[in-house]
Amino acid sequence: MSVFAMLAPLFRRRLGALTLALLLSSIALAAGIALLGTSGWFITATALTTLGLGFNLFVPSSLVRAFSFIRILARYGERFVGHNATLRLLSDLRGWLFSALFPRLPLSDRSIRHGDLVSRLTADVDALDVAFLVAIGPMLGALLMGVAVTGVLVVFLPSAALVYALAVAGAIFVVPATLVISARKVGRDVVSAAADTRIAVYDAISGHADLTILGVLGTAKARFSAFARHLSERRLALAALTGAAAMAVQVLAAVALVGTLWTGLIAHQAGALDPAVFVGLVLAVLGSFEATAVIVRSVGKSTAALAAAERLTALANLPPAIIDPAQPLPFPEGQKMAFSDVHFSYDSGAPVLNGVTLSIAPGERIAITGPSGGGKSTLLRLLLRLNEPQCGDIRIGTTALHDIAAAQVHAHTALLSQDSPVFIDTIRNNLRIARPLADDEAIWAALGAAKLEKFVATLPEGLDTVLGESGRTLSVGQMRRLCLARTLLSDAPIILLDEPTNALDRASELSFFETLAGATKGRTLIMVTHAAIPEGTVDRVLEIRNGRLSG
Amino acid sequence: MQRHGRSALWLAIALPLVSGGLLVWQAWSLASVIGRAIEGGETVDALLPTVGLILALLVFRAGLSALGDGLGTLAAENIKRDLRDSLFSSLLARSPRRQDQPASGAAVTAIVDQVEALDGFFARYLPASAQAALLPIVFGAIILPLDWVAGLLFLVSAPLIPLFMALVGWGAQAATDRQAQALTRLSGRFADRLRGLLTLKLFGREAAEVHGIVSASESLRRRTLSVLAIAFLSSAVLEFFAALGVAGVALYLGLTFIDYLHLRSSPLTLELALFLLLMAPEVYNPLRLLAAHYHDRASAKAALVEIERQLGELPSEPTPLSDIAPRGGEAIALDLTGVTLRTPDRQRVVLADTALKIPAGQHVAILGPSGQGKSTLLEALIGLRAAEGDIMLDGRALESWPEEDLRARTFLLTQKPRLLHASIAENIALAGHDASRADIELAAEHAGVAQFAAAMPQGLDTVIGEDGIGLSGGQAQRVALARLFLREAGLILLDEPTAHLDAELEAEIISAILDYAKGRTLIVATHSHAVAARLDKAWRIAGESLLPVALPAHKKGVA
Repeated sequence: MSVFAMLAPLFRRRLGALTLALLLSSIALAAGIALLGTSGWFITATALTTLGLGFNLFVPSSLVRAFSFIRILARYGERFVGHNATLRLLSDLRGWLFSALFPRLPLSDRSIRHGDLVSRLTADVDALDVAFLVAIGPMLGALLMGVAVTGVLVVFLPSAALVYALAVAGAIFVVPATLVISARKVGRDVVSAAADTRIAVYDAISGHADLTILGVLGTAKARFSAFARHLSERRLALAALTGAAAMAVQVLAAVALVGTLWTGLIAHQAGALDPAVFVGLVLAVLGSFEATAVIVRSVGKSTAALAAAERLTALANLPPAIIDPAQPLPFPEGQKMAFSDVHFSYDSGAPVLNGVTLSIAPGERIAITGPSGGGKSTLLRLLLRLNEPQCGDIRIGTTALHDIAAAQVHAHTALLSQDSPVFIDTIRNNLRIARPLADDEAIWAALGAAKLEKFVATLPEGLDTVLGESGRTLSVGQMRRLCLARTLLSDAPIILLDEPTNALDRASELSFFETLAGATKGRTLIMVTHAAIPEGTVDRVLEIRNGRLSG
Repeated sequence: MQRHGRSALWLAIALPLVSGGLLVWQAWSLASVIGRAIEGGETVDALLPTVGLILALLVFRAGLSALGDGLGTLAAENIKRDLRDSLFSSLLARSPRRQDQPASGAAVTAIVDQVEALDGFFARYLPASAQAALLPIVFGAIILPLDWVAGLLFLVSAPLIPLFMALVGWGAQAATDRQAQALTRLSGRFADRLRGLLTLKLFGREAAEVHGIVSASESLRRRTLSVLAIAFLSSAVLEFFAALGVAGVALYLGLTFIDYLHLRSSPLTLELALFLLLMAPEVYNPLRLLAAHYHDRASAKAALVEIERQLGELPSEPTPLSDIAPRGGEAIALDLTGVTLRTPDRQRVVLADTALKIPAGQHVAILGPSGQGKSTLLEALIGLRAAEGDIMLDGRALESWPEEDLRARTFLLTQKPRLLHASIAENIALAGHDASRADIELAAEHAGVAQFAAAMPQGLDTVIGEDGIGLSGGQAQRVALARLFLREAGLILLDEPTAHLDAELEAEIISAILDYAKGRTLIVATHSHAVAARLDKAWRIAGESLLPVALPAHKKGVA
């Protein structure tokens, strides 16, 4: 889908407010032009009048005051309404992007990295705020004004109308269009250079300890500086293009003004133009270029916005990881799970699973062991419908897994993955992710089952303790147990544990296995581990080796 | 570079002032052409040179303003680049385990986005404020002798405007500060949630998280809007004066022409009246420009506050950072006396008044429950964490070891080592500066990387994602372990090197490690008794001290 097709519905939701902003901005522009024009006409008329005090002062003086106030109010209203609409648009955009992201997880494209994702969400979304406010809006406003002033010129000074119309058209269409085309690549470069710089910082800070130990801080610095320099150069290139365009618009404004002045002088000499009208027209033309001056500055920015929009669209255009069935079947409760002759490989690489056949009765507890890289974790991913086998099928009872909506599968299976994260939040909220309505009793029970109860009880703020980035107040082992408690807290009848005791010492590991049966009572348990499992922990131990199961 | 940036900045400030001076000439020429045509009845031909002059002045001023803008941007870019370099290097020069080290998302926001917020201050606000300070006065002073009423109007009303703006600006500043904080929090939330997006998806939190993000950015919108509502007020004040100036001058001139007002000693010409009218908006224009960029100043100030809050005081210049090449050498002996060690949050004591002697070349295991401080101990041994008491390496106190020697001769495999978004080979090569391809392949062989890399499309040149995406946990750990074999370190510290591995592979890799560690001091933190059994000695952390663990007599024989 194209950038515009993707983002149009979001704009449509704010169309009313955006139109109002445009209307107000046009009123402000018109009032400004009218104020200058009327003033010019007024002083020339009074200078030339022979009526003296008999001159009708009332109309022009009240017009001048009215235009002043209309302009002030319209300008303020335009800014407020426009910014409000744009910021709402940004909130919509963030939500849109998040909801576009979820179905596409896990992302298949390895080049979309975490640091890059963060930059996409915040910076790219922010870059889009200029799209309407400082680009489309002023452009439409300037167009309206250009047409209006041209119309006035056609009536009073037809010979100037053509020059003026051409100059305005140049300033509104030709210069911005040239700028957009020539700056498109640079704008894209600026966005990607900024993303690279972000990743360099992100990489360096999260890998700070490793970089220090390896003595490669100099390399990290050089890498960052190179990206930052590149960003700077690209921004300068963009500024140079924008500057040239701004100058072109000013030159066009000069041509329009001098053109109007010159044709006006000729018409005046021929007696075809009232002097007061002549002065009014010159001043109105002068005032009308206020509208065009803004365009260029914003078009320069909008090229960056376009690049940002393209990146967002690319992300939302990724194919969903899994296609849900058109008519999903319910997840059968209390049925056995069966793999039959399942084959799987990632991105058509080397086969990971090579004809796996397996049947698990409801309530059964099994362990899968085997060498690392042998396909243990992959088996769990297939069960969760995060990936689908290329060959063979997986059934719950008689229902094929791919006939069940992924969300239903997830609601019935809880996973503790190897890289399960701890969020910057309280311990309670971290756990409640698994079960939003869980009460403290259930939370403590889950902590107890994960052998973390005592530790949390010693914390001064207990469940309300806020954990820092990467759970910095916890050791790696404690983080692991917190994630385990989260998995156990969920309502799911099927529990999947991927190396649950990884980072636990042998004594904690043993006591964990001891309590596991009780903690998962009544639930189906599939545990992937390389730990030695004590007798009685599980009903069955299977080994997976080179993508094949042996029991 | 700094000087280069400064002269660009001075020019960026000066050029608009020159352009302002030329504006007076331009306005006078325009007024005079019209006045001479209407009142003097001069012919078009006689006016042609002046019309040409007007065109030339307009074009020349357009060039000046483009040049000024360009130089302003150049100055701002230079300043931002220097600041980013300084912030980044001073952040890296600090200890990676400092308590106040910022979260990575916050550091990214500060160094990239908050520094970007300084752009407008240098590129636009400074030139605009110079114009606002000088041009209205200059214009007023030129107009005063020509018409004292208009001159006085400009001279009195113009200086009042900054006063109003300052009043309005105070409110805007406070609101901007709050907004900068909200932006940082929003960015932190994004980074955090994105990291765990898959977990959130599996727990069916899609709707809740989408809602959470929208409500977080809606609250940012409300804050932003409250900043803008006040910022717009300050520009409305200016619009008011500018409009009033034009309207007031027009009325005054009109009334003078029809002899209603008699404030002038000399008769008013159309030429002069037009000049005054043309100048009226220009007197207020520099101030309007300043108001338009006033927000830039507030944003820059708020950004600086936010940068200092996240990263500490601004460094004046970049800290030089250079790579330290690994250096082979004798095994390093360890001697700890009276060492007291606390957990990273300093809430719990790991070791109290502990002594430990490890002779050069010995291989030692540290056993102990997770969360008991094994990692903290290893990090303290090479100075990544503070410890009380004496830690001696080779009979020399740890703190008197120069950083270059310490890093060149020691190696630590952290528990969660970080891989970069680069090829497997590049990730390994990070450990050794002049590592040849053969060295890297050998290291990959020893760490058991070669066997899984062989099945990958580009072998060791396969690009892996950051955080080892594309590798299993055990595979990522082995890539980081391969770095060991390029180091020739006299002191090797390994934190759970085999945590993800099955027994067979564990035994294989431990053999490779032990083989390489001959003649080097090796300390392995592990919870695996099988690993400990293969080492010379084992200690465990219990009751705030290190206790020896008896190992089976046939320790060296297994595998």
